[in-house]
Amino acid sequence: MPVVNEELEAELAFVTNPQEEQHIRSLWDTAGPLMQQISISLIKGKNKEVYQLTEQALEDGFSANTILDDGLIAGMAIVGVKFRDNIIFVPEVLVAARAMKAGMEHIEPILSASGVEPKGKVIMGTVKGDLHDIGKNLCIMMLRGSGFDVVDLGVDTSSDEFIEAVEENGASILGMSALLTTTMPNMGKTIEAFEEVEMREFVKIMVGGAPLTQEFSDDMGADGYGKDAISCVDLAKSFITESQAS
Amino acid sequence: MTSKERVLNALNMNPVDRTPVANPTSVATVELMDLVDAPFPAACRDPELVARLAATEYTELGFDCVTPYFSIIQESSALGCDIQWEDKDNWPTVRMNNPIWKSSSDVKVPSDFLEHRDIKAITESIRILRQELGNDVAIIGKTMGPWTLAYHVFGVESFLLGTVDDPNETMKCLEKLTEISILMGQAQIDAGADALTFPDHATGDLVSGEYYKRFLQDIHSQMVDEIPSPLILHICGKTIDRMPYIAQTGMAAFHFDSKNDPQEAMEAVNGGIGLVGNINNPETLYARGPDEVRSEVYKCLEAGVQMIAPECAIPLVTKIENLMEIPAAVKDWTAERSP
Repeated sequence: MPVVNEELEAELAFVTNPQEEQHIRSLWDTAGPLMQQISISLIKGKNKEVYQLTEQALEDGFSANTILDDGLIAGMAIVGVKFRDNIIFVPEVLVAARAMKAGMEHIEPILSASGVEPKGKVIMGTVKGDLHDIGKNLCIMMLRGSGFDVVDLGVDTSSDEFIEAVEENGASILGMSALLTTTMPNMGKTIEAFEEVEMREFVKIMVGGAPLTQEFSDDMGADGYGKDAISCVDLAKSFITESQAS
Repeated sequence: MTSKERVLNALNMNPVDRTPVANPTSVATVELMDLVDAPFPAACRDPELVARLAATEYTELGFDCVTPYFSIIQESSALGCDIQWEDKDNWPTVRMNNPIWKSSSDVKVPSDFLEHRDIKAITESIRILRQELGNDVAIIGKTMGPWTLAYHVFGVESFLLGTVDDPNETMKCLEKLTEISILMGQAQIDAGADALTFPDHATGDLVSGEYYKRFLQDIHSQMVDEIPSPLILHICGKTIDRMPYIAQTGMAAFHFDSKNDPQEAMEAVNGGIGLVGNINNPETLYARGPDEVRSEVYKCLEAGVQMIAPECAIPLVTKIENLMEIPAAVKDWTAERSP
């Protein structure tokens, strides 16, 4: 169905790349007015509305998967573009993520019970000695907003904790964050730790954080460097695509 | 011209014999800690060790100032925040996931705030430095701004969500926290500081330039009215969009990040404020050598930056030779252009 919600149409104007605009617009191809309303309420950060609309949609017979894909994830796609392009900043992303979480309160239990697989499973953490987490948390919000299941290990995470979490959760992707040059080397140590326990080939490792560069990431053997939260999501998606192709 | 004269002249936009070199945030490194036996975290908490490590900025590196407040957490510690003090090779940090306050009504300055060991570590170290180094070198203190304090006492996400949910309450929080900034700043001036760095992390990586104008510009102007000493505002990250607003505050200088081109920064402030910076920390000072450092120093000098500095507190394992290259490069560049 074409986009019929006027506010949503106005939001699409922020997506200036024609191919990207086409792709995001297509997320509503099968989405009726109620899904579009969920999307725009999420974009605007109206968490109570998203909660109520999600509940209503379930009562109206929409599946949890449909609401997730056509309402919540579709809305977050625009949030992601606006954030990447500096149209909105972290406070606006936080309120949108809060709205997504409100919708997920209804959706998550249904998806878990039905055994529906998420897009992928990701372990995320800030490395040992580092207590900064806003960057990591933004990545987690955008990953969840794109349909990934994310286990958040928090801050000050040791190599052993990363290894244990990947093993216990059967995760195929690990994301590490660091804000300090003093803690960046712990990313390399963690990658080495995965090699020592012979788990390296089973997990894709991405890194990010203010002092990091592509060069640093390559030197320590990471599979990818995410310069921002959107890049982190793109990387995670590329890892999944790769593993499905192989 | 003494180093102190050079720094104060630059901050007052008066002529200098050469561009001064400083780091208004921190040049503490593990190598310098070992050199003078003043390791973190003790060198953040014991005034003698603070002074000993701070002095190396002038005595070992040849910079034009000393900056004894290395971290950004002394006030937050005195307010009761949970601090992870770490070891020599890492920064002490506030456990922001464990915030101490929820709203503006919680904000209270303890009556013995200035007597707290982590405040006296700074004020007493300033007295020691003035006594030991005399009047030739500038002592630059530091007082954390209300935005940064808000991150520490309320938690980053909670505070940023509040800016959308209740902007009026956000302003109340900032106004009350500014009282702490003023108190801490004045105490350091009374102790003998010549200028103050004022970190207030409303960075472009987190919030918009309009946020700076809306929430902080007037508060920063108020700081200029309240503090009888040159103030150097420091904000990390992308800040070109807010530099025109910063230039209107009356602050003496803005210490800016390498994510901003120095020439563009000069255009953005348009003579309204001095600029300090902006040598890249992780990619140049940490990861490269003296040649790359020199190249960046020259780029800043050619743009007309008023004080040359690393972009922020330098990585703790930065090599001394890279830091010493900064004043050497400034002197060579100046000599090359002298008649």
